[in-house]
Amino acid sequence: MKLTRKECVVMLLAGGQGSRLGALTTKIAKPSVPFGGKYRIIDFALSNCVNSGLDTIGVLTQYQPLLLNSYIGDGKSWDLDRMHGGIQILPPYQRVGDSEWYSGTANSIYQNMNFIDLYKPEYVLILSGDHIYKMDYSLMIKYHKEKDADCTISVIDVPMEEASRFGILSSNEEGRIIDFEEKPKKPKSNQASMGIYVFKWSKLKEYLEIDENNPNSTNDFGKDLIPLMLNSNEKMYAYNFKGYWKDVGTIDSLWQANMDLLDENIFDLSDDWVIYSRHAEKPPHYISKDAEVKNSIVSEGAVILGRVENSIIFSGVTIGENAVIRDSVIMADVEVKENSIINYSIIDEMVKIGPNLKIGKAMAENTKITVIPRESVIKQEG
Amino acid sequence: MNALGIIFSDIQDWNMTELASHRSVAAIPFGGRYRLIDFSLSNMVNSGINKICVITKSNYRSLMEHIGSGKDWDLSRKKGGVLIFPPYAVGENHGLYQGRLDALKRVLDYISSSKERYVVLSDCDMIYDIDYRKVIKYHEEKNSDITALYIRTEIDKSNSVHKILYEFDEEGRADDILVYPITKGTYNIGLNTWIMNKEFLESLIYDAIARNYKDFSYDVLAAKVHSLRIYGYEYQGFFAHIDSLQSYYENSMKLLNIDRLQNIFYSKTGPIYTKTKDSTPTKYCKEAVVKNSLIASGCIIEGRVENSIIFRGVKIGKEAIVKNSIIMQHSIIGDNAQLNSIITDTYAHVNKDRVLLGYSNCPFFIKKNSIV
Repeated sequence: MKLTRKECVVMLLAGGQGSRLGALTTKIAKPSVPFGGKYRIIDFALSNCVNSGLDTIGVLTQYQPLLLNSYIGDGKSWDLDRMHGGIQILPPYQRVGDSEWYSGTANSIYQNMNFIDLYKPEYVLILSGDHIYKMDYSLMIKYHKEKDADCTISVIDVPMEEASRFGILSSNEEGRIIDFEEKPKKPKSNQASMGIYVFKWSKLKEYLEIDENNPNSTNDFGKDLIPLMLNSNEKMYAYNFKGYWKDVGTIDSLWQANMDLLDENIFDLSDDWVIYSRHAEKPPHYISKDAEVKNSIVSEGAVILGRVENSIIFSGVTIGENAVIRDSVIMADVEVKENSIINYSIIDEMVKIGPNLKIGKAMAENTKITVIPRESVIKQEG
Repeated sequence: MNALGIIFSDIQDWNMTELASHRSVAAIPFGGRYRLIDFSLSNMVNSGINKICVITKSNYRSLMEHIGSGKDWDLSRKKGGVLIFPPYAVGENHGLYQGRLDALKRVLDYISSSKERYVVLSDCDMIYDIDYRKVIKYHEEKNSDITALYIRTEIDKSNSVHKILYEFDEEGRADDILVYPITKGTYNIGLNTWIMNKEFLESLIYDAIARNYKDFSYDVLAAKVHSLRIYGYEYQGFFAHIDSLQSYYENSMKLLNIDRLQNIFYSKTGPIYTKTKDSTPTKYCKEAVVKNSLIASGCIIEGRVENSIIFRGVKIGKEAIVKNSIIMQHSIIGDNAQLNSIITDTYAHVNKDRVLLGYSNCPFFIKKNSIV
């Protein structure tokens, strides 16, 4: 098979369970969790790629891939149905005399070196499909070339008190990384790794082999491969990203990132950097004469007969008469029947609620977000 | 299904001087995010027809842009798919076609080379929802030459001139056909949709070439009502005929009813497909007040909207009041502007503090790209 050469191949890590999202990820993988009224989390990484001119993407899946696979399809929603390159789902597979699950992020790339080699790339961009942000990767690749780096890691400044949740880097004036610690107890800086890496493919290949042959390694980029390269004194640089970036790995952060959309000064989806997604064929949404909608986002096909405040309403949602939705994220095709009241909740797709029910406690400092899992039917309280 | 679809995109352009001045009737925006042709195409696709030819003669840029490869209707196919026919000179036939039959002469090659057994001919100015498979079954049962879709409804003199009326005998066979009459009362109104066997259509076209016939309604339907077996198939359900600015306005406003909306867009035959645009969901600001309205995606609403249809990417400014109006895509309504019974075409810009007033039976129209 002769294929056109690609300068850069993207490998998108989408196999994680996202266990901290609890009920939201029991049946689907984290990258396919719905977000922002009509998107899924993976749309952001995919759209960033397409907008950055990167059209060859391998998506590494393992945990609950059904919905993700069918969502991606042939990639046409992101303009990734290409003659050469395009999008390719890469699940673990069986080889002669050997078959194994992906044991870690680095191992999943190791097992798919043959895919990357098809395109004989100069560079490989590693992404994770679980962040909400808009980023031009081509600028990072340009920086990587200018520095003639072996590896470039994208970093963002985080508040010092949160730094111990991230992989923390220290770099010198030229941007060269001098120290890296995964989730340090006493962070030396507030430069957090965004889990976005550009590698020289030849160099990455070399280290994937070394890492694979180390029986003590967990085969993880952050824990094993990056420290190994750093200790071997390879040329590793930090690329500073400025802008909105949110790890939506927890219920609280997922809720907050949704709410951030209500203020375009925090995160504006409607600028020229379009986020593409797969569409449901739905008509415009309908707001009835008795309905009230304030400070909210509403998607196609929704029917609002009740009251909606400070909330994100996904496509195909029905809010019945006199129902009240406050400070909540209501995902696609949810039906809230009349007189039900929902406060400070995340309601997953295709849930049916009510009538005459109260879900969630009013938002306050100590209240927790209520989560209702996919396809639940709730007819009584408790 | 074993049928070829032929859609006339601009046969009624002359009725719609405002909305069709720079686009064909097929490309007139309707219902917040659709174009009129979406209803014709979706009817066919949902009936299993996947080879469709769209005939057009002028102002077809926005139609071509809308249809593209046809992938949004699942019509980007190796076999079949959608094909647009702009004016096409064959032999002595040059210039723009006059009437359906004249247009069909130009695509005779395409029709002849198609393998399908049946042909469904349809316009774009009528909205209805039907499964053509049922009509074709009836067509077979009656062994008819032409099966015409109709609806029984009341009309008056103001709109009868845009309609074809059928009278049927007890068998359901047409025994009189009136084309564009001036009359009023309850009639069988044609939906300008006809089913024929492909070979029969070819023979009609050969005949039209030999006799220089150009108009399907006069030269075939009305003239041959007794010699041909023309049967009617009654349609029951939501029906809208967009044949003037007034009827465009009235039929759009009919969408502001939740039951009707569900009937049209969540019908048993399938959804209405349209070109996807990747707009963001619509944002309602803290001061927004919206009542009884249909709102598409990508809008930012800061003011007040009542009894209106808002297309994609519209901005309604602070303290603006939009009532009983249709605001087409990417229009901007400035702060504190007041609109009542207004139709703005696409990319219109109403500056702040402007007060614009139409009346429900005479909506005021604002042209594409205009600044008020």
